[in-house]
Amino acid sequence: MKIALAQISPHLGNVKKNFELHLEYIEKAKKKNVDLLIFPELSLTGYTLKDLVEEVALSPDSDPFFTKLKSASRDVSLVFGFVEEKERGLFYNSAAFLSKGKILHIHRKVFLPTYGMFEEGKFFALGKNFHTFSTPFGNAGMMICRDFLNYGACYLLFAGGSEIIIVISAAPGRGIQGKEAYETSRMWESMGETISLFSTSFLIYCNRVGFEDGKHFGGGSFIYNPAGKLLAKASYLDNEFLLQEINLDDIRDVRKKWPYKRDDRPEIILEALKRIVNQYED
Amino acid sequence: MKINEPFVEKILTAFIREELSKFNYKKGILGLSGGLDSAVCASLAVNALKPNNVIALVMPYGETFSEDVKDAQEFAKLLKIKSRVINISPMVDAYFSSNPTESKILKGNKMARERMSILYDFSARENALILGASNKTELLLGYGTIHGDMACGICPLGDLYKSQIRQLAKYLEIPEKIRKKIPSAGLWIGQTDEEEIGISYDEIDKILHQLVDKRTPKKAIIDSGFKKETVEKIITLIKNSEFKRKLPPIPKISSRSIGHDFLFPYDWDK
Repeated sequence: MKIALAQISPHLGNVKKNFELHLEYIEKAKKKNVDLLIFPELSLTGYTLKDLVEEVALSPDSDPFFTKLKSASRDVSLVFGFVEEKERGLFYNSAAFLSKGKILHIHRKVFLPTYGMFEEGKFFALGKNFHTFSTPFGNAGMMICRDFLNYGACYLLFAGGSEIIIVISAAPGRGIQGKEAYETSRMWESMGETISLFSTSFLIYCNRVGFEDGKHFGGGSFIYNPAGKLLAKASYLDNEFLLQEINLDDIRDVRKKWPYKRDDRPEIILEALKRIVNQYED
Repeated sequence: MKINEPFVEKILTAFIREELSKFNYKKGILGLSGGLDSAVCASLAVNALKPNNVIALVMPYGETFSEDVKDAQEFAKLLKIKSRVINISPMVDAYFSSNPTESKILKGNKMARERMSILYDFSARENALILGASNKTELLLGYGTIHGDMACGICPLGDLYKSQIRQLAKYLEIPEKIRKKIPSAGLWIGQTDEEEIGISYDEIDKILHQLVDKRTPKKAIIDSGFKKETVEKIITLIKNSEFKRKLPPIPKISSRSIGHDFLFPYDWDK
């Protein structure tokens, strides 16, 4: 199976321009016979939206851009980020998985960072679930940026049966003492290596680049195989179209050797979590 | 506090390039004083935009700092950028002849705002975006003139401490003569930043790095070996200059107000 990551720099608040940028990359992907093309978080809108959130929100069932992207997914499956108006007046930071002209799944970001430089909780409604869903390539699960830094969220996708975990991100870089990247890049890479290894799943992380209001998105998109081995990595600063062939049989091979999935005990975890939650003080 | 110079250079040149293109500018313009910060800013601008898209204005007050003017012009020549010298003494003197003062601070602020006024005029004439040269140290201490040298279109060096700019300057091969200069706002002869503030930049930067970047409590900084008065002085300078880092407050009396809940990104539709 051939995967492509579109490490792009979307235009802030301009859905039409971003839609065109998506089409450009879809054309590139088609030429290279890509099966699955992945864009970063909020790729149709840009990240630092603030009060623009309601202006750029789409309803997947009726929006014309969405309809066109659905048609484009007949040739290449797509993952991208957008602002979703699910119910009237409720806006979600969402990721869509489209394939063969259909929406296979929409994930709504659960962990909305709201501290320091981040203010997502001020503008977005909270997603409430982590689903695994079936795709032409196997079972997949999606997370958006900060979701991925919660290992409980990663576990839910593992317990739900994910074989391919897709993370789309708009992560700003911080820290300039590092070797060739922002110090914060290490955080994502470390999660990528760990989660791919211990979930014995492919782990695909697509970040964006470019500046918004001085924030600099740190690129460095990557793909790990189910044994925790890095297969491909994009540059930290530049737009990139990262292509990688993956072999889905690797999942089976690795799970023979490392039976973490077979030996998982979600019922024990669930009971223990219930006990912890029930002990919360009022 | 050590920085990875090539990485920082790449980021800042990308920033300058991207900001200019977002706002449809091809050219950048900046005031060149003959000092370190504006030299680093000019050098980054050249790397980002090519020399023919960078304009330097050298704006001395009379003959007061003729050595700095020479250094600035020589540096502009080295970078192969267009430079122009504009003497601000006729404007400044005209003003003070009818509103005399002995205050060096008032005179210095007026000069800084005169330079700002010329830069904005040239920005419009040349269709060039103004690159500010303020650094993190002076922005935090409020060691700059509001609407004077602090005014700019973008501020590429605003997240680098003075000591980090020194590192970057060496990497960018800024001439030693400029790098070895004692930092001065150039408001009057013999003025040096460190003497005026009363603390060395090395010490200021170490304390600021703890206070701002590391969020270390005051007591822990003092316990680690810095003088109580020094740390307290720096905290006071930061507090008293917050107004220089913000838009002026607007009383919120409507349902949606600028600065309160009318919230749009700077790079709106860019």
